[in-house]
Amino acid sequence: MTIKRILILVPTLVILFLLQSYLWVPTYEEQTKGNPNRLHEYITASTGDATSLNPIISSNSTSSQIESLVFDSLLDRDEELRFRGRLATSWEISEEAYFYLNPHAVIHHAMTSDAGKTDAEGIVRILREARKRVTDLDPVLKATLNRIKKIMIIPPEKVVTTTHYKPAKEEKEEKEIEVIIQAPARIKLSLTEVDQDLFINLSKILGNDYFASFDGVQYLKTDPLVDKKRLAAYAKEYLPAIEHNPVIIFHLRPGVRFHDGHIFDAGDVRFTYEAIMDPKNLSPRTADYEPIKEVEVLDSLTVRIVYKRLYSPALGTWGMGILPEHILNQEALKKEAERLGKDPDKFSMRQSEFDRHPMGCGPFVFKEWKSDQFIDLDRFEDYWEGSPHYKRYVMRIIPDLLTQEMEFYAGTLDSYQVQPHQVERLKKDPRFQSFSGTSFGYTYIGYNMRRAPFNDVRVRRALGMAIDVNKIIDYVLYNQGERITGPFPKQTDYYDHKVQPLPYDPKGALDLLKEAGWLRNEEGWLEKDGKRLEFTLITNSGNDIRKAILAIAQDGWKQIGVNVRTDILEWSVFIQERVHKLDFDALILGWVMGIDPDLYQIWYSNQTHPYQLNFVGFENREADDLIIKIRQEYDFEKQVEFCHRLHKIIAREQPYTFLYVGKWTAVLDKRIVIKDFDEDGVMLYKKIKPTKTGDYTFHFNRWLKIPEMPQLLD
Amino acid sequence: MTNTQQTLESPLAPKQTRLEELWELFRQNRLAILGLIIFLFFLITAIIGVILTSGQDPVFDPAMIRLQEKLLPPLTRPNIETLQPAEIPTLGIYLLGTDDLGRDVFSRMLQGAWVSLTVGFVAVGISVLVGIFMGGIAGYFGQGHLRYDQIIISCVLITGGILLALGTTYTGVGLLVAGHIYIFFSIFSKKILARRTLPKWFNLLHRGAISIDTIIMRAVDIMLCFPTFFLILTVVALLPASMYNIMIVIGLTSWMGTTRFVRAEFLSLREQDFVTAAKALGVGHFRIIFRHMMPNAIAPVLVSSTIGIAMAILTEAGLSFLGFGVPPPHATWGNILSDGKRFIFDAPWLTFIPGIAILIVVLCFNLFGEGLRDALNPKLREKG
Amino acid sequence: MFSFIGRSIVQKIITLFFVSVVSFLIIHLAPGEPSQVDPMNPKFTPEMVERFQKEFHLDKPLYVQYLYFYRDLFTGKIVSWKDSQSVLTKIWERFLNSLPLFIVGTILTWTLSFPVGIRSAIFRGGIYDRSATFVSYLLISIPGFFFAYILIILVVTTLHVPVIGMETFGLGASSWGTTLMDRIWHLLIPSVLGATGGIAVLSRYVRSQMLEVEGQDYVRTAKAKGLPPEQVHYKHALRNALLPFVTMFGLILPGLIGGSVIIESIFSWPGMGRMAYEAILARDYPVILTVNFVAAVLVLVGTFISDLLYLVVDPRIRL
Repeated sequence: MTIKRILILVPTLVILFLLQSYLWVPTYEEQTKGNPNRLHEYITASTGDATSLNPIISSNSTSSQIESLVFDSLLDRDEELRFRGRLATSWEISEEAYFYLNPHAVIHHAMTSDAGKTDAEGIVRILREARKRVTDLDPVLKATLNRIKKIMIIPPEKVVTTTHYKPAKEEKEEKEIEVIIQAPARIKLSLTEVDQDLFINLSKILGNDYFASFDGVQYLKTDPLVDKKRLAAYAKEYLPAIEHNPVIIFHLRPGVRFHDGHIFDAGDVRFTYEAIMDPKNLSPRTADYEPIKEVEVLDSLTVRIVYKRLYSPALGTWGMGILPEHILNQEALKKEAERLGKDPDKFSMRQSEFDRHPMGCGPFVFKEWKSDQFIDLDRFEDYWEGSPHYKRYVMRIIPDLLTQEMEFYAGTLDSYQVQPHQVERLKKDPRFQSFSGTSFGYTYIGYNMRRAPFNDVRVRRALGMAIDVNKIIDYVLYNQGERITGPFPKQTDYYDHKVQPLPYDPKGALDLLKEAGWLRNEEGWLEKDGKRLEFTLITNSGNDIRKAILAIAQDGWKQIGVNVRTDILEWSVFIQERVHKLDFDALILGWVMGIDPDLYQIWYSNQTHPYQLNFVGFENREADDLIIKIRQEYDFEKQVEFCHRLHKIIAREQPYTFLYVGKWTAVLDKRIVIKDFDEDGVMLYKKIKPTKTGDYTFHFNRWLKIPEMPQLLD
Repeated sequence: MTNTQQTLESPLAPKQTRLEELWELFRQNRLAILGLIIFLFFLITAIIGVILTSGQDPVFDPAMIRLQEKLLPPLTRPNIETLQPAEIPTLGIYLLGTDDLGRDVFSRMLQGAWVSLTVGFVAVGISVLVGIFMGGIAGYFGQGHLRYDQIIISCVLITGGILLALGTTYTGVGLLVAGHIYIFFSIFSKKILARRTLPKWFNLLHRGAISIDTIIMRAVDIMLCFPTFFLILTVVALLPASMYNIMIVIGLTSWMGTTRFVRAEFLSLREQDFVTAAKALGVGHFRIIFRHMMPNAIAPVLVSSTIGIAMAILTEAGLSFLGFGVPPPHATWGNILSDGKRFIFDAPWLTFIPGIAILIVVLCFNLFGEGLRDALNPKLREKG
Repeated sequence: MFSFIGRSIVQKIITLFFVSVVSFLIIHLAPGEPSQVDPMNPKFTPEMVERFQKEFHLDKPLYVQYLYFYRDLFTGKIVSWKDSQSVLTKIWERFLNSLPLFIVGTILTWTLSFPVGIRSAIFRGGIYDRSATFVSYLLISIPGFFFAYILIILVVTTLHVPVIGMETFGLGASSWGTTLMDRIWHLLIPSVLGATGGIAVLSRYVRSQMLEVEGQDYVRTAKAKGLPPEQVHYKHALRNALLPFVTMFGLILPGLIGGSVIIESIFSWPGMGRMAYEAILARDYPVILTVNFVAAVLVLVGTFISDLLYLVVDPRIRL
């Protein structure tokens, strides 16, 4: 019967056809043998797709990983986390400081001849004299004075500006207002290096209230007239008594080319800055560059960047990829808009195709991006540091970790980020080499210090002591974590290793609680004034480790008689409804830190409002002071010292129970090695070694896969 | 099947009630019987499970964390020295091993059985209730027409409500009040103006516009336009995670089949003699619906609901996989399975135990449902 | 006939309108904000969040947002919030990726279901029928991702070949034959997984259709005439049993867009389902709503086609 035969034959053929395709697919071994090119390709994976490949727009990790290969920055960090020049060969940091002449202040310093009120020339004279008289000055002041390179007088001037303000909150329309500034003479000091104590030290000569008593209001007029408060605010804005203007001068590397052959120059640096600050681009990085006053191109290879105020993270922000001006400037964008048939006025970098076809001067050239599939890069033959050994770099998007692992085994991925419980097994595997290091993030339990009983440091400390953190590290993290005691990344010098973690001591915790007035009742629950010690601990869903910590904390606290309810919330609800609105008792969360020690947003006392990041409500004057000092200090040693002090305060106050910093482990095929040349120019293969900070990809540009398992080397 | 035929056709066979007859047919299907047995076993397990795992001091504590005992394979004895007396598992052995937090998988499976079952039952319960209600109305009252004025007024009321909710107070209240005044007026006017001739435009308003049946069936069409799993996922992902949301969402996205079925059934039943007779006797609508028509339409609905339960359990497992399943502390088989998949190489039992358990139970629901359907199908019954 | 078509088109457009309203409401009334602006990113200031809201019209009343959205959709200008890409282009790309999965899955479903279903109908109650029933229920009862993992692990650990994604990475410049076969291999497992449910359901349906037809008088007559049973089954019975399946062709259309979220995530297959899932995670409203809208259109077109096919195929129906 033909119909019957067809009915059986067709599916059989279909299945056979599908199955035979297996014979064509290469196995792990065949991939490199049959295709030598495979050795020159590096394939890695990420769980999430990139959002945009424009470094000033994107804000996720996959994007920045690709961007770091396609774009090059002025500088980056070396093995020891110190700055290292990339597109910039060197840089100088100096300062320009200003202060207004205060004609009403009376100067009566012992060592000055011009006592009494004085004009600008008088001040300059006093300072010059002081510089000469080195013998009897205290060393701090002496150091400050020695930094002064040049003193200049800016004559008085009249400036008229217009500004806007809202007369009242209810009114929507902003009013235009004219401010007339009749500025007095100003003195400009050029310093060889940044000195945040400059004016404190100078007041030793000029008198303690020389700067403080300067009143800008008298030099201001507005049209129409405004109230005193607003006038004072304008005075502060337009006539600040003192001003620090740190200056960075970058000397750029000559002869660096973008991937299209265009020469990189200082204009590109300025353009990158302007692009970030352009409100049309909605860049998430504006906060980093807002302190910049101006970016000045001195010549094609020198850029001078002047800051509005002391801002020590400044240098670090130039680790930003530099955009090619000739592709993205106004005319280019207008042309692109016309080509795409879009409104040129509304067309910004966000709409530009550059977003998905980036071009920089980094070691790899962008080739192709298929959403949710892969991003493909080719090496840049003209890279200024010599092109990488790998010819191709592919970032695959594989959302599921288990399938990533399977692809790694099948040989179609060259690296795999190991989950903690797999570390033991994969470290032993002879096919792979593994690397581990501490990450830059830490996990903590934060307490809402606005609410009782968390306003009592003894309670916070006791709660921390009741949790066995070592147990969390041992069992939940499979030893892939380290204890942490404070807010700085553990591998940086800012972290104070002398601070001891809280001991696991339920008995001690009970004593502390007793001191705070919490006693156990007959049922074993802690009680104070007839009220039980109970609260809700929350965290977000989708993170198994936090889920486990939740359970362990609940268990540990239950044992000392604290009644804890737990709740796991979906991320956006957790953040929007609970964290942002400050509606929580205690929560488990983590921070990913940058290397820079600026803690302003997370710990400063004016950041405690809804939607701000100091949601635990930590307020400590000493800490505030240190936080400001840290972000203003340009001297590394001093910064470290301040950080250690801040670390101690936070550890003492325990606004968080600091839990651990995670360790990551990555495995690579063992056949991947570093190809290098010794002094005589003889090629040799070296084993990949992580740097001190654990970064194993530091020498990525010199990596290569070799056909045979290496027998070498060290 | 020949046996059946003989018993059925034999004049000597004792007269059977419908139920007995059904059972007789059902018994022929061995797979279905197996399904029923396992289904009952599962039901009992779930009930015992909820008793043994809940309360202040449960016999099997599914939440007990023993980190030093994590990831032990099934049938391992606990290491008594490191455990406090309260932490030793009740059976003295980890029957199904422990998970990544050292929780006893057996206890968790016991607890999960009940939760999974609840999710399935409640979700399907909701869908069956909504389905029967909508289908019943469409089938029985379907020929009734909504009048233009009714539609306009409900539109006015709804817009008023929405505006009020959005903050446009005055217009909102205005519309609401106007709507209510009209309702009053029309009730009133029925009594007083009944005999008077009404103006033409008023009559036009009272003209029937659209039948109830059309409205309900269009609503079914609208719901069928959504890709079900995608819709469930969207809603569950956007709403805060909760077991109840999942049950309600699964329920509210799967009533369309039942509605269509009940409607068709009612449409044919309402033409039957016994319904006409009941109507003639002056029996009330609801009595006719629930006493006379429903029992004739319900059996197939129940069959499809057994399969529905199976599907709901699978859907929940799928949602768990994507991270939107029933949130802890409730253990379900779905979330035990999706939690366990990370450890598939290091602790395969965490994946295989719940996976196979779901497989077996869902299979039983399906086989049982299929057996019932076969037994109920008159066409297959006669001509076996 | 034409009046039927006209009426049905009008009806479908009305339905579509309601679908658009309902889906819009569901998404916009749910709590939480789009995570385009990651709320925990310390680099985002409240002003930026406000600016984004303006950009996305989130500060406007709901009905205005609705109008904006559908205006953009119909003029093809709709862009994703996540990456400012045109949504329609995105969907088209994903659709092309999902298409091979869909085609292979459909071929597997439709070619396998018929022989299996017919055979179990012919040998009703026999060992073959029972095991076919059992196996098909087994297939619908396995949690999809569990099954997928088992298959993947089996293949990778025993055969040592890659199965994830659309192709083997780093295959280099090989002949088109190899590339094609490689792609087919990568299609195999996900499409088999996608087809299992369909095979099980459809083969059951074929079986019951066959059983129904086999009970008809003309089949009995044919048997009584002494025709060989093969001929009775495959000629007389099958032809008539096929009738409802013709109309089902219209109903597979929605499967084009449904895809499977789970299978596509596991196999990192860049298809429709995964895009939709990721849009949900990021609360990328334009993408979610557009996918929903396109899905609804496909369902409606599918039912329309199947109605038409019914008209054409079944001579008894005349409208």
